[in-house]
Amino acid sequence: MSGIQILQDILIILLAGYMTVDQNGLVIMSWFPVIVGTITGLIMGDLHTALVIGGTFQLMMLGVAALGGASAPNYGLATIVGAFVAIRTGAGINAAIAVGLPVGLIAIQLEVLARIICNFLAHKMQTDTNAHKFSKMRREAWLGPLLFSLQTAVPTALVVLVGPQVVKFILTVIPKWVTNGLTIAGGMLPVVGIAMLMHYMPVKKFLPYIIVGFVLAAYLKVPVLGIALIGFAGAYWYFTSESRKADTTAATANNATADNDEDEDDYDE
Amino acid sequence: MMSDQIQKQNNPDITKKDLRRAGVRYNFMAVNLFNYESQMGPAVAWALAPILRKIYKNDDDYQAALDNHFNYFNSTTVMSSMILGATTAMEAKDGIKSKDAVQSLKTSLMGPLAGVGDTLVWVLWPTIIGSISGYMALQGNPLGAIVWLIANIVFWFVKVKMFEVGYTSGTKLVTTLGSKMTLFTEAASIMGLSVVGALVATVVKVQTPLKFQFGKVGLALQSGVLDKIMPALLPALLTLLVYKLLDNKKWTPTRIILLVIVIALAGSFFGVFKA
Repeated sequence: MSGIQILQDILIILLAGYMTVDQNGLVIMSWFPVIVGTITGLIMGDLHTALVIGGTFQLMMLGVAALGGASAPNYGLATIVGAFVAIRTGAGINAAIAVGLPVGLIAIQLEVLARIICNFLAHKMQTDTNAHKFSKMRREAWLGPLLFSLQTAVPTALVVLVGPQVVKFILTVIPKWVTNGLTIAGGMLPVVGIAMLMHYMPVKKFLPYIIVGFVLAAYLKVPVLGIALIGFAGAYWYFTSESRKADTTAATANNATADNDEDEDDYDE
Repeated sequence: MMSDQIQKQNNPDITKKDLRRAGVRYNFMAVNLFNYESQMGPAVAWALAPILRKIYKNDDDYQAALDNHFNYFNSTTVMSSMILGATTAMEAKDGIKSKDAVQSLKTSLMGPLAGVGDTLVWVLWPTIIGSISGYMALQGNPLGAIVWLIANIVFWFVKVKMFEVGYTSGTKLVTTLGSKMTLFTEAASIMGLSVVGALVATVVKVQTPLKFQFGKVGLALQSGVLDKIMPALLPALLTLLVYKLLDNKKWTPTRIILLVIVIALAGSFFGVFKA
């Protein structure tokens, strides 16, 4: 194993650990597969492959949001692990999906575990605060980011240490229909995020816009940016006309009272 | 300057630097001390520790104020920065007397503002930029990812600044914001839903290799029948199915993901679906 490979191994594990700390706080790289994939590609020296893998997982992730303390599959981790194995072994995009997807799903369990452990830390910090050990509490808090970084660093380290060649071997042992099935699943999985999105958003109120977007894409093959722009036009129109409506309602209400005043004046005369 | 005046009224010791520091500390720690009991609570207490120390010289008051912030809290970081800025202004003005008011302001605002904030920050923006940059990445183009990264750096400064905004403009702005944001969120949803419609047709991929054989004449189910009825018919039906499943609380997203994988594996085994 060459020195460069050892350096890459270390950087990949650090990247995976940092990813969760960033996603939990700074949200600069976060766990978004295209951004994570770009950085993974720079480390591994094959930007193109990493970008294609990142793009694949990015589309699977669309609409998937871990809101209000819920957990979601970690497609960022899937990108790091998948791109690492694919680039190191030359195994290809489908292998990246077959390795990355299960790892990203297992990461949910690790996140839940880390959050349960963090409960003890939270109690310890509060106890120390109430015992007036303020600086101790402030030092203890750093264990939090450390703990959460393990949630992604440990599975990545396992893949790196077990060795991508072993992972590649396991992939060759797995029957063709399984890896093929995982690739098919990769194509279907964006549906989960999209359906979740539809649940967060006022679908029934704005149903026509979904249909417009669907028709433009399915029949007319308009690219996503073009459809986003048409959506922006609709949003702009709605925002201005609704806020004008709100203003006129307020204005009519004022006029009505003004008219009443005049009427009363006439009556007096 | 206006903001300096407000700061002086509240507490002469608190400088812009202190506000920026509190904003940085909160937005860094955010979910990095997450637990299922108090969620962001410990991160809030840790983030505010230095600025509260300036407000409370007395150890007992300081401890009571920190203890209060260990309580359950969760909201979108950009929104909570503003809420916590506003509550810090209350504490700077009234000291430990404001403890209950601080708690009730936090509790009453975190929900509604998270509703608006999560929709914009975690749902709409990542969906739109994600689909654009995702397709670019599939072609080996990192431009979308780089634009996204730069935008996130800008957002970071906005989030940190929001603490100062909350502190200087006080509770009034934060409370009225919730109602004004509703129309904006609705308008943003229109843009989001147009993109969702496009995503159903382009991102979700379900195809079947099945063929009907009538004597010597073959008819491919996908190109001969389904595509003739409507392009992206199977993806649209699958979306509808999962949307309906999500109505049922038992079907968590993780279970649905596992279900999709099982369906795909079975479909692959029996040759009903192709990649």
